[in-house]
Amino acid sequence: MSTTTTAVAPRSSELAGTRGLVRAALRLDRWRTAIWAVAVAGLTQVSVDALSRLYSTPESRAARAQLISSPAATALAGPGYGLDDYTVGAMTANELGLWIMIPVAIMALLTVTRHLRAAEEDGRLELVRSAPVGRDAPVVAGLVAAAVATVVVGGLTFLALLTTGLDPVGSLALAGGIVMVGLVFAGISAVASQLTAHARAASSLGMAALGVAFLLRAIGDVRGPESTSVLTWLSPFGWAQATRAYVDERFWPLAIGVVAAAVLVAVAFWLVGRRDLGTGLLAERLGRPRASARLSGMVALTLRRQSGAIASWGVGIVVMGVFVGLLANEIVDFVADQPQLAQMFPTGPNGAAASAFALYTVFLAVMAGAYAATAVGAARTEETATRGAMVLAGPVSRVRWLGSQVGVAAGAATVMMLVTGVLMGLTATASLGENAVGQLIGATAVTLPAVGIVLGVAVVVLGVAPRAFGLVWAYVTYVGVVGLFAPLRPDGADALSPFTYTPQLPAEAMDWPPVLVLAVIAVALATVGLAAFRRRDVVG
Amino acid sequence: MTDAIAVSGLVKSFGAKRALDGFDLTVRTGEVHGFLGPNGAGKSTTIRVLLGLLRADAGDVRLLGGDPWRDAVALHRRLAYVPGEVNLWPNLSGGEAIDLLGRLRGGLNPARRDALIERFELDPRIKGRAYSKGNRQKVALVAALAADVELLLMDEPTSGLDPLMEAVFQQVVQEAAADGRTVLLSSHILAEVEALCRRVTIIRQGRAVQSGSLEELRSLTRTTVTAGLRDADDAERTLALLDGVHHVQRDDGHLTVDVDTASLNDVLARLTGFGVRSLTAHPPTLEDLFLREYSEELATLGVHEESR
Repeated sequence: MSTTTTAVAPRSSELAGTRGLVRAALRLDRWRTAIWAVAVAGLTQVSVDALSRLYSTPESRAARAQLISSPAATALAGPGYGLDDYTVGAMTANELGLWIMIPVAIMALLTVTRHLRAAEEDGRLELVRSAPVGRDAPVVAGLVAAAVATVVVGGLTFLALLTTGLDPVGSLALAGGIVMVGLVFAGISAVASQLTAHARAASSLGMAALGVAFLLRAIGDVRGPESTSVLTWLSPFGWAQATRAYVDERFWPLAIGVVAAAVLVAVAFWLVGRRDLGTGLLAERLGRPRASARLSGMVALTLRRQSGAIASWGVGIVVMGVFVGLLANEIVDFVADQPQLAQMFPTGPNGAAASAFALYTVFLAVMAGAYAATAVGAARTEETATRGAMVLAGPVSRVRWLGSQVGVAAGAATVMMLVTGVLMGLTATASLGENAVGQLIGATAVTLPAVGIVLGVAVVVLGVAPRAFGLVWAYVTYVGVVGLFAPLRPDGADALSPFTYTPQLPAEAMDWPPVLVLAVIAVALATVGLAAFRRRDVVG
Repeated sequence: MTDAIAVSGLVKSFGAKRALDGFDLTVRTGEVHGFLGPNGAGKSTTIRVLLGLLRADAGDVRLLGGDPWRDAVALHRRLAYVPGEVNLWPNLSGGEAIDLLGRLRGGLNPARRDALIERFELDPRIKGRAYSKGNRQKVALVAALAADVELLLMDEPTSGLDPLMEAVFQQVVQEAAADGRTVLLSSHILAEVEALCRRVTIIRQGRAVQSGSLEELRSLTRTTVTAGLRDADDAERTLALLDGVHHVQRDDGHLTVDVDTASLNDVLARLTGFGVRSLTAHPPTLEDLFLREYSEELATLGVHEESR
C-alpha cells in the first residue's frame, strides 16, 4: 500500500522569504536612494528658485509663455497648461516637470533591472533561490525596493517644492506624477527583465520604452496642446502632466499610471512562472563565427565596443543642437522683449541670438566632454575587467592600447560637435532667415580644445590615479555648473574650467591665442596621462 | 640553451602587503612547468610580472632572454597568455574575440584555430556576455593555442572546464610540448600538473618553497609502506624507534608507516624479519608533497595530517 500525498502548495509558498529579501534589498539600496533623492530634490529646488528670480514679473512670465508655446519648445516642455496666466508654479509643472520625471524613471528602471536581472545574471539569485525562498519573492523584493526609492525621491521632491513657496496641492499633483511615472517604468523594467537574459539589454529595453514615451508625449503635445491629442494619453509622461499641477489640479490621470503599473507587474509575475532561472523569453541573438575583415586592431575594437555609447551621446547632442537651431527665432524675439534677461543672455555685439547660441554651445560642448570622460572610463573598465590584460599580453604597447581608445574618444567628440554645428546652423538658418551655418560650425569648432582638456584630465587621472576615477566626474560636473550658471557663480570660481578661456562664438569675436594654448594644454595632458599609464602597474 | 624563464629574488608589494617576497623560478626551454600554490600565494602576481603588466619592486626577471617590463611588445610576439578569469567583450562573439586577439598579434593560423574550436566543442557564434565561465575559458585557450608562439603562460587555465574538456586540454598541452613549446602552467588541480609537468615549483606566501623535478621532490619526502606481518606487534615496537619512520599505524596484522627516502632500505630490510605476508609501497603523490608544504596552514584550518 502506498499513500499518495498530494501536496497542495499554497499560493503563498511562491512568496516564502519575501520579508527578508525586501529588508536586504532596501538595505543594499539605502545610499543609492539617498543620493538620488537629494540630487533630484536639490536640483528641483535650485531650478524653481532660479525660475522665480529670473521671471519675477508677470510681463517676463508672459513672454516666457509665448516662447514656450512654440512647437520646438513644447516638444521639450509640456502640454502648456496655464499659459494665459503663467505663474512660477505653472512654469515649473510645464517646463521642469518632465525633466524631473525622466531621471526618476531612469532610477526606477535601473533599480528594477539590478534586482531582477543583474542578480540573476551574476548567479546571486541562484543562491538565494536555493534557500527556502519562493519564486516570486525576489521579484517582490526588487519591485518593493524600486517603489520605496521612487516614493522617497518623490516625497523629498515634494518637500523641496514646498520650501520654494509653491502651492501644496499643485506640489502634491506634480510629486504624485513623478512617483507615478517611476512606478510605471519600474513595471516596464520588470517585464523587460523577464524578456532578456542580460541586465544591460533589459535596461536598454527600458530606456527604449522611455524614449518612445517621451516622443509620444512630445508629438502629442505639439499636435494638441493641453493634452488634447490621443498620443499624449499613450505616454506616462502625458498622464503625469495631465494633472494640471498649479493650474487646476485633477488627480484622476494618476490612476491610469497606477493601473498600468499594476498590469505590468502582473504580467511580469506571470512571465516569471513561465521561464527557467537564468534565461530570458527572447532568444539570445548569435554573432558571427568569424570576425569580419574590418574588425582588426585597437581602433576597430574600440569603435565596436563604443558604438552604443557614441551613438547615444551623439544623437543626444545633435538633437539638442537641432532644437536650439529651430528655436533661434523665438529666442531672439523673447530676449528682445525682455531686457531684464540680459544677465542670462549677455548680449554681445552680435545680438541676442548669437549670445543664446554661445551659451547653448557651451552646454553641448560640456556634453561632448562628458562623453569623452565616459570613453576613458570605458578604458578603465577594460582594464579592471582584465580584457585589457588579455590584449596587453599580446604585442600591443601600453601607448597603443590607451592611445587608440583616447584617439577614438577625441575623434568621436569632434565629429559630434561638428555635425551638431552643421545641423544647428541649417535649422537656425531656416528659423532666422539668414545664413548661420558657417558661424555655428565655427562656434562648435572653437570649443574643441576645451573638450580636449576634459578628455586630457580624464586620461591623466587614468594614468596617475586610476582608482580615483570619480574625480573625473567631479571635474565634468564642475565644468558644467560654472559653464551654465555663468551669471550666478562667484568671481574666480570658473578659473579651472577651459570654457572660461574659450571665446564665446558667435557672441564674441574670435581670439586665437587662448584657443591655441588650450589645445596645447589638452595635448600635454593626454601625453602626461599616457606616459603615466606606461609606467604604472596594470591592475585587474 | 638559456632558460625560458629565470626569476630570482623577485619582490612585489601592493601597499603593505608583500605578494612576492624573494621568489625564485626557473623554467627550462621546452618543458611544461607546473606552478602550484593556493589562492593568494602569488601565482597570478608572478605571471603578471612576467607579462610586464606589473613592475617588479626588486629582483631579477628574465623572460625569453629579455626584460619583461622593458621589452614587453617584442617578447609578447613570442608568447601567449591564458588568464584564469576570462572576461570577454560582451558584444563580440567568441569567434570574433579569437580573431581579434589573433590579428592584434599579426594573424593566427586559421586551420589550427578551427581545429581547436572543434576539439574544445566551442560555439564561436555566441556573444561574449552569454558564455558560461567554462566557455569563456575555452575562448581564451583557443586564442592562445592557435597563436604561433614559443611560450605559453597559463594562469589556472582549466578552472570551469568539465572533465572531458580537461582531458582535451591535457592532450593539447602535450602536443604543444611535443612541438617544442615551453609552458608555464599555474594550477591547483594537482592531477593535471602531475599528468603534464616533469618539473614543478610550489609557492607559499610569495616564496618558492619547493622547486625541481617531481622525482627529486618525491625523493625529498616519504614513501608510505603498508605490510601484512606475522609479528606485527614486534614490528610496531621496533620500527617506532627507528629514525626516519613516521606515523606508525597498526590495524590488526597490518602495519602502515611513512618512511623517509634515506631510511627506506633499512626499513625494508628489517621488515623481512617479521614475516612479510603482503607489501605495498607507494611514493608520495603530488598532493602529499603539496600538502606537506602547507602543513602549517592545514593545522590552522583544523586539518591534521593523521586524519587525512
